[in-house]
This record gives sequence, C-alpha cells and structure tokens, in this order.
Amino acid sequence: MDNLGFLFAANVCVWGGIVFYVYTLKQRNRALEKDLDLLKETLSKER
Amino acid sequence: MNPDAVEEKQEEGNILVWLTGFGLLMAMIGIFIYVPTERTEGVIQRIMYFHVPCAWLSFFAFFVVFICSILFLWKKDREWDIYAHASAGIGVVFCSLVLITGPIWARPIWGAWWVWDARLTSTLILWLIYVAYLMLRAQSDAGSMRARYAAVLGIVGFLNIPFIHFSVLWWRTFHPQPKVITNEGIGKGMDPSMLATLGLSLFAFTLLYFLLMGERVRQEKLKDEIDRLKREKLYSS
Repeated sequence: MDNLGFLFAANVCVWGGIVFYVYTLKQRNRALEKDLDLLKETLSKER
Repeated sequence: MNPDAVEEKQEEGNILVWLTGFGLLMAMIGIFIYVPTERTEGVIQRIMYFHVPCAWLSFFAFFVVFICSILFLWKKDREWDIYAHASAGIGVVFCSLVLITGPIWARPIWGAWWVWDARLTSTLILWLIYVAYLMLRAQSDAGSMRARYAAVLGIVGFLNIPFIHFSVLWWRTFHPQPKVITNEGIGKGMDPSMLATLGLSLFAFTLLYFLLMGERVRQEKLKDEIDRLKREKLYSS
C-alpha cells in the first residue's frame, strides 16, 4: 500500500478541481442572470 | 424561446446531470473497488484511470475548438465562435489536471516530478497555446477581429495533438507506451477489468464535457445578451 499519499493527492486535485470549476461556472452564470434581469427591468422602466 | 422549449431543455439538462453523476460514481467504484491493483506499479497505477480520461477530455475539447474555429472562419457565425471559446476553457482546465496528475504519478515511479521528454513537453506546449488563446480572448476588445485571431490560434494549436499522440512512438520517451490502441489491436495490452474501468471512466468524463459545455455556452450567450442590452440602453439614452 505504498504511494497511497500520492494517489490521494491526485484524487484531491482532480475531483477538487472539477468541483471548483463547476462551482465557479454556476456562480458566474447566476451573477450574469441577475445582471441580465436587472438590465431588462431598467430598460422596461425607461420605456 | 417559448416556455415549453425552455422546460424541455431544462429536463434534458437534468437527465445529463444525473447521468454524469451516476457515470462518475460508477467510475469511482470501478477505480477503487472493482479493478485489481497492478503488479509492478502498485496502487499508484490507479491514477491512470482519471489521468487518461482528463487527457482524452482535453484533446476532445481542443478538437471541438479546431472544428468550430474552421466553421467560424468559413461561415462567420458568432455561434461557432461561442462554442470554440467555451470548449477551449474546458480543455485548458482538464489539460491542467493532466499536467498535475502526471507528475504525481511520475514522482514515485520515475523518481522525478518532471522530465523534458517529448510527450510531457509537447503536452505543456499544448497547454501554453490554449492559455494564450484564452488570454487573447480576455485581453483584446470584443469584435470579429479578436474572434478571427483566436480561431486561427485554435486551429494551429490543435495541430500539436497528433504530435503528442505519436511522440511516444517516434522517440524513446519515459512516458508509458499506448495500452489501449496497440499494434496487436484495441485493448489487447490490458486486463479486461482494467479496460472496462478505463472505458467507463472515459465515458463518464465525456458526459462531463457535454455538461460543462452546456454551462459555458449559456455563460457566453448571457454575456452577449447583456452586451446587446447595454448597447440598446446607451443608444436609447
């Protein structure tokens, strides 16, 4: 069971990296949706 | 888009999320429970079951960049540019994971984190090309010229991939020789249980690519819509 630490480190990097990427993607999309809604609201008020 | 079509698209997205989650879970079970430990390398060889799928996903993502860039230059349709940009980002993320997991495997097996052999160096060059692609898109102003330069870089960058694939055959390298596609046939160089686990992992990562692609494309379209409305607001005021 040598090198278990290396296997663990590689796993943390891969799954941690994927989870972090998905999380940032979701957050960014949510922020953009919010911006879009706000912009639409402002434009409809102006008209 | 009408509400029915939106609902249908959301349902398709949910199915893909569940399918990807299930696929990744099954791949994990395969990697850590089902597959036997390799005789010479030991437990560290299990890194291969996600190192290779990460490499496959990044190559596939760059292939999509290549195709969409050609289509963009040909058709001049922004839609192809969106797909190319979205795919390049995903490719860079997974190519980074390849460049991280590779040295973690190499340290106990080779006794060194990194060696400047053909496979490793050409993969690093590929990563640098597509990082440059993303920097080009981030730095220059929006417009068709930026998209055109990026498309050319996206096409040129992909030409490195066949070189990466054949590098272990053309030169004597430290990197292991291909095990799945060999001269004896597909999968002849591996134990069937190892091949099945690798196949499952490749399938799950491919699903993950489509899931991430959906999110990235949505992000680019939201940005476009915001830009359009901002311009509209500017002209109306």
